[in-house]
Amino acid sequence: QQVVVRGNSRIDDETIRAYVTGVSAEEARRNLVATGFFSDVRVSRQGGQLVVNVVENNVVNRVAFEGNRRLQSEALIPELQTRARQPYNPATVAADVERIQEIYRRTGRALATVSSRIVDLPDGRIDVVFTVDEGSKTGIRQISFTGNEAFSDGRLRDVMTSTESNFLSFLKTTDVYDPDRLAADLELIRRYYLRKGYADFRVVGTDVRFDEQREGYVIDIAVEEGQLYRVGNVDIDSRIADVPTEELRRRVLTREGQVYDATAVERTLVDLTTEVARRGYAFAQVRPAGERDPAAGVVNITYIVEEGPRVYIERINIRGNTRTRDYVIRRELDLGEGDPYNKVLIDRAERRLNNLGFFERVRISNEPSLSPDRVILNIDVEDRPTGSFSIAGGYSTADGFIGEVSLSEANFLGRGQAVRIAGSWGERTSGFDFSFTEPYFLGYRLSAGVDVFSRFSEASNTGRYDSRTTGGTLRFGVPITEQFSVTARYSLYQQDLDIPVIFRDNNPANGEASLALKEAEGETLTSLVGLTFTFNSLDNVRNPREGLYAELRPEIAGLGGDSEFFRITADARYYHEIFEDVVGIARVQAGHIAALGSEDLRILDHFFLGPSLVRGFRPSGIGPRDVSSADVANALGGTTYFGGSLEVQFPLPLVPRDFGFRGAVFADAGSLIDYEGRRVFSGGQTIVVDDNDEIRSSIGASLLWASPLGPLRFDYAYVLSQADGDRTQAFRFSGGTSF
Amino acid sequence: CTQTIAPMSEDFQRGYILDEAALEQVTPGMGAQQVLELMGTPSTVSTVGNQSWYYISQTARRRAAFMRQEVVDQRVAAIYFTPQLRVERKALYGLEDGVIFDFISRETPTGGAEQSFVRQLFRGVTSWNPLVGGGS
Amino acid sequence: CETVSALNPFGGGETYEPEIVETRPAAELYNEGLSLIDRGQYQSAADRFEEIEEAYPFSDFARRALVMQAYAQFAGGAYDDSSNTAQRYLQLYPGQDDADYAQYILAMSNYNQIPDITRDQTQTAQALRAFQELIDRYPNSDYVEDARAKIVFARDQLAGKEMEVGRFYLERRNYTGAINRFRTVVAEYQTTRHSEEALARLTEAYMAMGIVDEAQTAAAVLGHNFPESQWYRDSYALLQSGGLEPRENRDSWISRAFRGFTRAVVGVGG
Repeated sequence: QQVVVRGNSRIDDETIRAYVTGVSAEEARRNLVATGFFSDVRVSRQGGQLVVNVVENNVVNRVAFEGNRRLQSEALIPELQTRARQPYNPATVAADVERIQEIYRRTGRALATVSSRIVDLPDGRIDVVFTVDEGSKTGIRQISFTGNEAFSDGRLRDVMTSTESNFLSFLKTTDVYDPDRLAADLELIRRYYLRKGYADFRVVGTDVRFDEQREGYVIDIAVEEGQLYRVGNVDIDSRIADVPTEELRRRVLTREGQVYDATAVERTLVDLTTEVARRGYAFAQVRPAGERDPAAGVVNITYIVEEGPRVYIERINIRGNTRTRDYVIRRELDLGEGDPYNKVLIDRAERRLNNLGFFERVRISNEPSLSPDRVILNIDVEDRPTGSFSIAGGYSTADGFIGEVSLSEANFLGRGQAVRIAGSWGERTSGFDFSFTEPYFLGYRLSAGVDVFSRFSEASNTGRYDSRTTGGTLRFGVPITEQFSVTARYSLYQQDLDIPVIFRDNNPANGEASLALKEAEGETLTSLVGLTFTFNSLDNVRNPREGLYAELRPEIAGLGGDSEFFRITADARYYHEIFEDVVGIARVQAGHIAALGSEDLRILDHFFLGPSLVRGFRPSGIGPRDVSSADVANALGGTTYFGGSLEVQFPLPLVPRDFGFRGAVFADAGSLIDYEGRRVFSGGQTIVVDDNDEIRSSIGASLLWASPLGPLRFDYAYVLSQADGDRTQAFRFSGGTSF
Repeated sequence: CTQTIAPMSEDFQRGYILDEAALEQVTPGMGAQQVLELMGTPSTVSTVGNQSWYYISQTARRRAAFMRQEVVDQRVAAIYFTPQLRVERKALYGLEDGVIFDFISRETPTGGAEQSFVRQLFRGVTSWNPLVGGGS
Repeated sequence: CETVSALNPFGGGETYEPEIVETRPAAELYNEGLSLIDRGQYQSAADRFEEIEEAYPFSDFARRALVMQAYAQFAGGAYDDSSNTAQRYLQLYPGQDDADYAQYILAMSNYNQIPDITRDQTQTAQALRAFQELIDRYPNSDYVEDARAKIVFARDQLAGKEMEVGRFYLERRNYTGAINRFRTVVAEYQTTRHSEEALARLTEAYMAMGIVDEAQTAAAVLGHNFPESQWYRDSYALLQSGGLEPRENRDSWISRAFRGFTRAVVGVGG
């Protein structure tokens, strides 16, 4: 049956014939239309021949954009249905216009307008051009709450991740209206209320309006707080025969009279289950039964301990770990294949895996197995890039401008090991650091590490000597409990000290180094063994509000090397949120160093302290001085120091919280005493030491700014008491990173 | 048998929770199905011809947070069946039956793309944050 | 999020001017693609073949271009693209010639991404399935022989993963977990090289628990199937000595620690 094709120019007869042979005329017509290449198809039978008349659609030559600035055409074109070299179809172009508008709305530009036009080209081709007018950014102009008495709008906004637009808008994207993020925020607010005793809390509704003149969204969240509940009577109902409830009572964190806190209930469940599991009831489950008594404003909680199903874990599959190695994940689980299935230990394992910081997301799920009393555990992880390359800038009145480039990898080669390489340059200092840590040395949860460092600091009037220190440390960290850990250290470093000529030319005009310093020139090797006892119960390391951080560091130098001393330092900081968002900090620090063996203590082994002990003093501005000559700039350092500080940090009232400003007032006191170094030198020359041991103290105020460029701090301190010869410095600024 | 538990150490019930009473009720001649109902699925079965079932129960203790878990108590209940899957005899192996020796450290070599250090490092480095304080 | 260039408030945005993009004849594009492959410019070769498929749809050129595009992407190492393109070919032209080649490209795209045994073996399992489908669906394709060889390696890799986890549990003396992993290797992967070690590990595990008869059976199976194997000699020695003699020149704790340390540092060059 002969087929004649007419009207086609671009699509060859071969292709059209492929659709027509062996099918009815009507079906052939439908197939050809379905390809979308033809605006019109007519199939007819004339004599023995089948005649196919087609009118080809225009073909799209190119898809182009004009007027788009924020979003590139490369990013937009893949999103469209209209494609180059495909047939032009007005319906899909209209759908694409809609699609582009939706993309702009999602990136915070709801005002964008999009139109499309066709440009005719020779030989039946056309260009499809989308014209975009992006309009200004339409972020969230305002988030307000109704029905909230217990907490201010500002406090609730602080809990949310979405923020209001302000002068920083060009830098951030959290002020773009995103329905999913808003839903997640509502959950954050609900958990916040549940933690603060509002067991009946409910989000009544959220109203999101696009405000024309304010060119942005106005969000109003209506809440129903309900009443504040305290904990009523707490009871344990143990349905396992010989599990004594008295001993379990010790583990309950929710005490009668306390404000009801949902997280305390959750933690109690974990502690109770672990306690019961320890007694051999590995399948025990604990669930809370809370019953509200609105009249008395009390929630009575009963913890029900019952025997769970006797199910064992048949197999643990770890999936998705494209970088982290299997054993790095498996060793974090306290349970293995064949062990009893215990929901609480599994939740703890999930939390522990999340704390590793190697994963975007960790999800542990169950899957039934063939035998009824077996379950298969699937751990799905998604690796997160754990390398970070950062350039940091900073300025401090002590060291001038500082720059640091560092390359670190927290999950080196997927082995859970941490590697860090850093180089730093500054006006008066430079340095290099390499550190490697293996968290599971020899299979023990014992972190072994090695650091190699070299630091150079140039002479300045606070320290009239150039010093280059190069060395290395071997360290072993041992966690004793969740909060208490001990690190053992061996360090070997060489310090090379030399005094520039201008400080040695016996010309007091340009400052002269103390005789003690001149005698200490040259290289000294120190070989030192030390321990660090650390207690850390801070709720959040970056900006703590509650908890205690304390460190005790005893050290002995003398296994070889030139200097022999025993040194011990202690530092403890206690944070407490006095009331909403106002944090009180109390700090105590002390230290002592004593020479061992016959020789005097080397001068550079002394403590040289300043603002770190009492704010308002210059570096090395406190402590014993060489007063042989009129020029009293030469600090000699001391062997004993002690100091205390009280500080209160608070949000600045007028400034919107979003800018990240906080204020603080503080009072410091402390002293550095007892120079134990040499006083008589070659040729019988001596130095006169003014070992003034008065208490130095100061009060002051600070401004803290968590700026996009890093944490900055401005301190102003007014010195109350000082010793003559101390060198004060009222204003201090440090920013960027803390070295 | 809960010895006095030092404050820092933590005990873990590992493997099958052995119930002496149930083991007592297993008597020679009993059918395999009945043993399953009494004791549950065995921890493992013999390598050849699965005619012997093993219920492996361990208590492991971790003396301090950094230490490894050390097996302090181990009991293996073994139930041997006749070819017609009727209980023939049973045995109980304790920790003292076990022998402590080092496992061979040699491993059968395997292939697969090892991560090259450089490629992995740069693929990993995406949190590029110029200007924001890195800090020690 | 917005790209960095989006931050510049000064640019005026893109402009449009008409520009004819000439579509060249299919044959010319096809040949250019082939020469680009020879010159090793795989990405541009793949683009040429994609152009053919778009400009001349439903033509025979389009079919051949699609499989060549998959090959170009594969040769260029873009394994995700090549496996997608190969799958598209298999959907569009299931029975036609070159389908076995597309199936082979699909399998090889997964095969080349097989990681070492300490990481997720999804790629290995997918490669295994794809090669098996090649053998089942195109029995007389000339890629079948290579597919069989690759299947052996893939199964060996999966067995290696089971052994890795088994050794993890054995080291921690969790005998239930260890024994069941080694049994899986003996049961499902007995044709791989790992079954020898699996039987030796079973001997060790049962010996450590004191169940000597089970240890003997495992060693007997090992001896019967692999009489020359070093694993058998080790197991035999273990049974003879009842675990009392040292088994290999186990160096002291320090050198073992050192080896652990070098393994971590040597890994740097890995």
